[in-house]
Amino acid sequence: MAAGFGEGFVEADGFRIRYVAAGEGTALVHLHGAGGLRLTPAHEALSRTYRVIAFEMPGFGASAENTRTRDMPELALTMAAAAQALDLDRFNLMGTSFGAKTALWLGLQKPELVSALVLESPAAIRPPAAVPPADTPEEMARRLFAHPERQPPLPAVDPQQAAKQAAFVRRVLGPPRDPNLEAQLPGLAPPTLVLFGTLDAIVPPDLGHYYKKLIPDCHLVFVYDAGHAIAAERPEAFTEVVSDFLDHHAGFLVSRRRSVIHP
Amino acid sequence: MQVSYFETGCYNAPSDLPRQWPMPAGAYDREAGLRAYRGMVERSRYVEALGFDWVSVSEHHYSPRILTPSLPMAATYIAAQVPNIKIALLGPIVPQSNPVLLAEEMAMLDTMAEGRLIVGLLRGTTNEMLSYSLNPTESRERTDEGMALILRAWQEPEPFGWQGRHFHYRTVSVWPKPLQQPTPPMYALGTSQEASDFAARHHMGLGVSYGPFDAMAKVTSYYKEQCARHGWQPEPHQIIYRANILIAETDAVAQRALANYPRQAAFALKDGVAAALLELDQRNVVGEGRRSANVNRALPINFCGGPDEIVAQLKQCRAEIGAGVVDLAFQTPGSEDPDALMAVLELFGKQVLPHVGAI
Repeated sequence: MAAGFGEGFVEADGFRIRYVAAGEGTALVHLHGAGGLRLTPAHEALSRTYRVIAFEMPGFGASAENTRTRDMPELALTMAAAAQALDLDRFNLMGTSFGAKTALWLGLQKPELVSALVLESPAAIRPPAAVPPADTPEEMARRLFAHPERQPPLPAVDPQQAAKQAAFVRRVLGPPRDPNLEAQLPGLAPPTLVLFGTLDAIVPPDLGHYYKKLIPDCHLVFVYDAGHAIAAERPEAFTEVVSDFLDHHAGFLVSRRRSVIHP
Repeated sequence: MQVSYFETGCYNAPSDLPRQWPMPAGAYDREAGLRAYRGMVERSRYVEALGFDWVSVSEHHYSPRILTPSLPMAATYIAAQVPNIKIALLGPIVPQSNPVLLAEEMAMLDTMAEGRLIVGLLRGTTNEMLSYSLNPTESRERTDEGMALILRAWQEPEPFGWQGRHFHYRTVSVWPKPLQQPTPPMYALGTSQEASDFAARHHMGLGVSYGPFDAMAKVTSYYKEQCARHGWQPEPHQIIYRANILIAETDAVAQRALANYPRQAAFALKDGVAAALLELDQRNVVGEGRRSANVNRALPINFCGGPDEIVAQLKQCRAEIGAGVVDLAFQTPGSEDPDALMAVLELFGKQVLPHVGAI
């Protein structure tokens, strides 16, 4: 586990939900991707400024198979209940890929809880043809990362756990274009930052502009030379833009960088 | 095969200039400069009338040798006064540019030129690392990122931010867009593996320059292999060979002129500067691996002879390198008189060009 992160469990909506947390300050809740909870150097960097709480959603990791949650809006309400059970009544919400769609539904259904949304490589809008599941950690690394050779090897996943997670994801993820979600996005209240790696091989970055069109207060940023797992591949770039957005919302468009070379 | 005329400005100095780079700005003669830019238009009109396909310009700084430090400006000036010929930027030095401004300027130019723009993007000759204080060890990365940003800027329908390694923008939304859709014909210029890799990944053409046929053939072969990896194959017009040409009425005259051709570096750098660049400016040339950039080496003459011999050499170039476009820098050894250049353009245009289309 990343330095400084401690593990805890919270009871919410009939589930016992695992989370890891570190840091102090404004709360930043993270909802992971379809592969489950995996901390990156960006979590650690963000925890220097924010209180980072990364949940493991019911049905992922060592938790029991989740046969109860019917769809993404329901999963989002469960995660909102989990955050509230930790006494978080207002927080920043970051979702990765699959978890970005959960985050969108949470923002739509509980806007009073969410100060701002960050969507990392969101999988809420996808191309018609699904990327087939990876058979090995090496194959998964090739899909997740633009430069897998620069990453530590992905841990081998227990086949039963992988099958359990995959079945849950298939069931609740929804179609590549989800008319119910897209019809509601124009009403999404929290300011939203959408991030895509320019070399994302799972969700094409060319789809990023749809979020910008659909969400009223949305900013789209491309992270150069990153694949799907942006926070793992370019943690400094990811942390800088996310922090800047969380601190200033739309005002993050205004540069505060100094260009003086010698005073 | 298509033929591009490489327009350098043809600055005809009233007095001898030292062979060095950078050239002292105090040596600049304003009347000679005025004649150079007028001549650019005259020659471009002339090659258009002769049937050349493109006129090209190339970015260089601090020197009279190629008097076009601002490519969009030079190209727009030509395009406004020469109505039909294709205008090729071969090319802007991407790592020292503001890629967003470049995307804006090239889109303006393509629109003003009514869809006649051709774009080659490059890292730049090694002396240019000094022009705007670019760290040579970063120039490759900056080139790749700048090229990716230009393509993205032309493609995106909504404002976007760019969180790069070397470039950083929070809002980009380029107006106008190029007239040609989705982009003007695009090339990566260079003999490095990275240039071929980028071109292949983005379905772009490749431009190689000045090397002997066999060495350039290795580069274009590698490029085609990479294109195949990405599921496509380039058309002949997607390979450009930039070359020096020395053409005369007969082979014998051309060979005598070749003997007088000055074997001097185009951009001669002082020893200490050259040594630092040799250490820092590493290139990953296909067929050679990692090596220092060319510093203080003279460029060869790649085509030499009378008209028939030139036609034969162009056929050989097409067969070996696979180039469907040659971008030619016409040499007139012993004379910097622009009239001498007009004479060889006429010779090429009337006696070679009619045979080139079939190559």
